[in-house]
Amino acid sequence: MRRDKIVPVLLILPFLLVTTLVLIAIINILVQSLGYMPVFNLYDVTLRYYAETLRRPEVLQSIGVSLRVSIISSLAAAVCGTVICAALIKTGRTKGGMLYTVRLPILVPHTVVAVFTVALLSQTGLFARLAYALGIIVDYTEFPGILYGTGYAGVIIAYVWKESPFIAYFTIALMASVSSTLGEAAENLGASPLKSFINITLPLSLPAIARGLLIVFIFSFGGYELPMLLGATLPKALPVYTYIEFIKPEFKLRPYAMAMNGVTLLISLAMAVIYAIAMNRLLKKLGGDYEK
Amino acid sequence: MRNSRILSFILILTAIIIILPALVILLWTVTGRWPWPGLLPESYTLRTVEELLFGSSGLWKILKSSVILATAVAVLGTVIALMTARATEIYRIRGRKLISSASILPLIVPGTVFAMGIQVTLIRIHLNDTITGVIIVHLVAALPYCITIMMDMTAAVGSSLEEQAAVLGAKPLRGFLDVTLPQLLPGILSSASMAYIISYSQYFTTLMAGGGKVKTLALVMFPYIQSGDRALASIYAAVFVGSALIVFFVFEAIIHRIVRS
Repeated sequence: MRRDKIVPVLLILPFLLVTTLVLIAIINILVQSLGYMPVFNLYDVTLRYYAETLRRPEVLQSIGVSLRVSIISSLAAAVCGTVICAALIKTGRTKGGMLYTVRLPILVPHTVVAVFTVALLSQTGLFARLAYALGIIVDYTEFPGILYGTGYAGVIIAYVWKESPFIAYFTIALMASVSSTLGEAAENLGASPLKSFINITLPLSLPAIARGLLIVFIFSFGGYELPMLLGATLPKALPVYTYIEFIKPEFKLRPYAMAMNGVTLLISLAMAVIYAIAMNRLLKKLGGDYEK
Repeated sequence: MRNSRILSFILILTAIIIILPALVILLWTVTGRWPWPGLLPESYTLRTVEELLFGSSGLWKILKSSVILATAVAVLGTVIALMTARATEIYRIRGRKLISSASILPLIVPGTVFAMGIQVTLIRIHLNDTITGVIIVHLVAALPYCITIMMDMTAAVGSSLEEQAAVLGAKPLRGFLDVTLPQLLPGILSSASMAYIISYSQYFTTLMAGGGKVKTLALVMFPYIQSGDRALASIYAAVFVGSALIVFFVFEAIIHRIVRS
């Protein structure tokens, strides 16, 4: 009998250890951003660093850029991902070559995605050359500056390329099961395939899509590689700017960097809370027994 | 009929958008000169490839350390996920809901924030700039995916066969190893390959925890992209994706074989 009590506790220990690390990281950020760093003789707990950080125009611009990039790219990825997922299911390609192809971007790290984007979308990239060959432009400077611009278009496109397949793959199991049961039932009762998809399959697949959307949003909001490699010099994405502040040798500046991390963390948490509330509403609307 | 044609067109377009950049990169790896506005390179050379693969670039050493690191994360992540899943799905440990919510915490805390937050602690326990420290931060990134996969799999397989084995006199560990583990194998392999890929892809966390001393492919190729050296960046990218694909397909092939038998 006692064994049954001890074994599960032992089994869960390593997980608790890893989770503790995440909590420690969060605590470190909160404590240091509030100015408490005994190692450097900083003892006053204050909100001053947050207040000063949030008054700096560069920081506000960084928050704006990061929000814009992550909101646009994650919404676009959710739409593209859902369309790809539906296309895979409706054409019966839920196994085999096409699915493997769609999964490829999941395997490609962000650093490589940056190389891909430069090769295709820079002013001397493949698309610019195609535009020249087709007579659309006569000089490479006429090709729009998708990369390194303040609009962060290159970063957004790169994220959509990488994350749409993630959302499609994340959603396919749920959507396939909904589509093959309730979706087909609706079609048998006379609904057109499009109507059955929009009214039945899509709403019932929303939990998976929304969860994927949240993951992708937070990932792109806190991502470093793509905005660093493909973004503008100014304004910088929030994580890029935070890291620059973080590696400054003056220890007195550390609380500012940590306050910026705190802001990133708070916005990410806020998104998770919004997601949780929206999901609760959705599940209630779809009917109480759906969660089963 | 028309609908399915549109859908097929969407899929083909998607496939082209996915594969095209990889083809361009492969072309870049053997490009000598590719001046504007040519659609194809002017001259081809194997010199850069040779230099990187067989010269003194240290590529093989870096590849080796990337593989060892990712393998360690894959094994640890999957074992921990399996243990966690056993505790929640089979032993029905108290606070299961809380555990499953806590398991997605690393997805809510951005990797950059976690890496900068944990650094002080890594320094305090003398794990900064070490491979162990890097394994730990990679593990945090990979574990949510491993746990989701292993929890689903463990719940699906259940414990009824294991209990029958126990009734027939098998010791608990024997019952698990001989009866349940083989059934869990597809899940174990997909968890391991997911963790492997995640570790392999990490840049920022490796930089922070490894302090530049732990070198991985993601880390060493970064400066080449920044400096705009397309040929070298492309070769690194090709090696990167190529080696990840090999690992991925080996795992997939094994899973297929197991599922079929």
